[in-house]
Amino acid sequence: MINQIGLAVIFLNKILSTLFKKGISREDFFEQTLKVTQQSFLTVTMAGFFVGAIMTIQFALQLKEYAALAYLGGLATSGTLRELGPLLIAFMLSGKVGAFTAAELGTMKVTEQMDAIRCLGADPFKEIIAPRFLGIIVASLFLLLFGIGMSVFGGLLMANIFAQINADQYVRHIPTIVKLSSIISGFFKVFWFSFCLGWIATFLGYSTTGGAKGVGLSVVNTAVATMVVIVIVDWITTTLFNSVLSMLAF
Amino acid sequence: MIRFVELSKSFGSRTILNKISFEVRTGEILFILGTSGTGKSVLLKNLVGLLRPDSGQIWVDDQEISRYSEEQYLSIRRQIGMVFQQPALFDSLTVFENVAFGLRRLEKLLPDELSKRVIESLQLVHLHQLENRYPNELSYGQQKRVSIARTLALKPKVLLFDEPTTGLDPVTTTTVNELIFELSQKLKTTSIVVSHDMKCAIDIAHRIIVLDKGHIVDQGTPDELKKSEQELVKEFLREVLQTSQSAPTKEKLP
Repeated sequence: MINQIGLAVIFLNKILSTLFKKGISREDFFEQTLKVTQQSFLTVTMAGFFVGAIMTIQFALQLKEYAALAYLGGLATSGTLRELGPLLIAFMLSGKVGAFTAAELGTMKVTEQMDAIRCLGADPFKEIIAPRFLGIIVASLFLLLFGIGMSVFGGLLMANIFAQINADQYVRHIPTIVKLSSIISGFFKVFWFSFCLGWIATFLGYSTTGGAKGVGLSVVNTAVATMVVIVIVDWITTTLFNSVLSMLAF
Repeated sequence: MIRFVELSKSFGSRTILNKISFEVRTGEILFILGTSGTGKSVLLKNLVGLLRPDSGQIWVDDQEISRYSEEQYLSIRRQIGMVFQQPALFDSLTVFENVAFGLRRLEKLLPDELSKRVIESLQLVHLHQLENRYPNELSYGQQKRVSIARTLALKPKVLLFDEPTTGLDPVTTTTVNELIFELSQKLKTTSIVVSHDMKCAIDIAHRIIVLDKGHIVDQGTPDELKKSEQELVKEFLREVLQTSQSAPTKEKLP
């Protein structure tokens, strides 16, 4: 375990030095970003919409008892932005983007394509790994933000159907409850979730050994490891963010 | 000339190569034979820097290369091309783009020159009409030949073949073996072929080295090895004999 973490850190250092010192082809980066976005757009749209919808229904049930449905929009949006939106959509992406990347890189590794790249005078980190790492981060950032937008929309729609609250009433209390800190917290998490997803998927994919069985193992490990790491990162970022906020009395 | 001097390589507690020493003469076809797991592929990967030896030296002409950095190895990889056990073609690229991959990175050629070099390389493996296809549209044998063309495009002085006929049917195996011989004659390259196919080695090799458990157990010309007293060599030869008796064989290549 400790050995794996050490290797993952060395791997990340290699990716970052490739990105900052050698640079990558703009074409490769755009290709990867587009590929990840296209692959997961529908999944994220669906996941985002229903996360917002579920949050709104749950909040509506509670708020109705206290005759506080006017605050539904604000509370549901705040909860979605700060916590559930980034977390659940990141889970979806880890299963989709993470597993796909690990399978792709793992297959390239066990079929000796990575060795062939080196023998043909190219650097696999520059040609394959770094563009995927950056592509996953940028695409996941976009997808997560879009997914959060969709969840707000899903919440708004459900509020209208189940609680007879129109759009105007729904958004009225959003500015009073959703503070700047909620938005910053959401964005902060989204960035670190994307970063970890890109890092783990490329690392476990590139570390694959042992043929088809090894590729299968890498895919499973990537899906599990990204979800566990995302939860841990969520806890760290939430704790850190709240500590910083209380220090600054933001 | 290439020289391995007391080369050793282990993976964990398992010793794969144990103080191996031999030389490869310019222009020859050298076969390295041995059963699976005896370190044949490891030997080739050490030569092109994909793996690094634990101890010993590797000489290419007058340069000792075993401690070279990844950047220094670039010049070695231009001289020594490797054809892998699997075709290792890039799925998302056409045959043309696969063959052009190394050229685009190592040589600054004009589009016309690049195209000419790619077509020339594909002609050498008799596949020039398939340049617009993708790897998944080719048979396994054709993929292997594209992989050879991709290596040839860089005009290496030395060609390394890692189990070039593994997974091929008998007809395609003969085609690939003939191709190795033809390329060696046409391009005057030095070839090192890792294999467990003694019949093919007897047909086309100038010299054969037999590896077992990390050691060289015998080496010599095909005729010398036919007289070997080593049990492993005899076993390989018995298999050739059985194959020859059970199926009509091709005449020995010139």
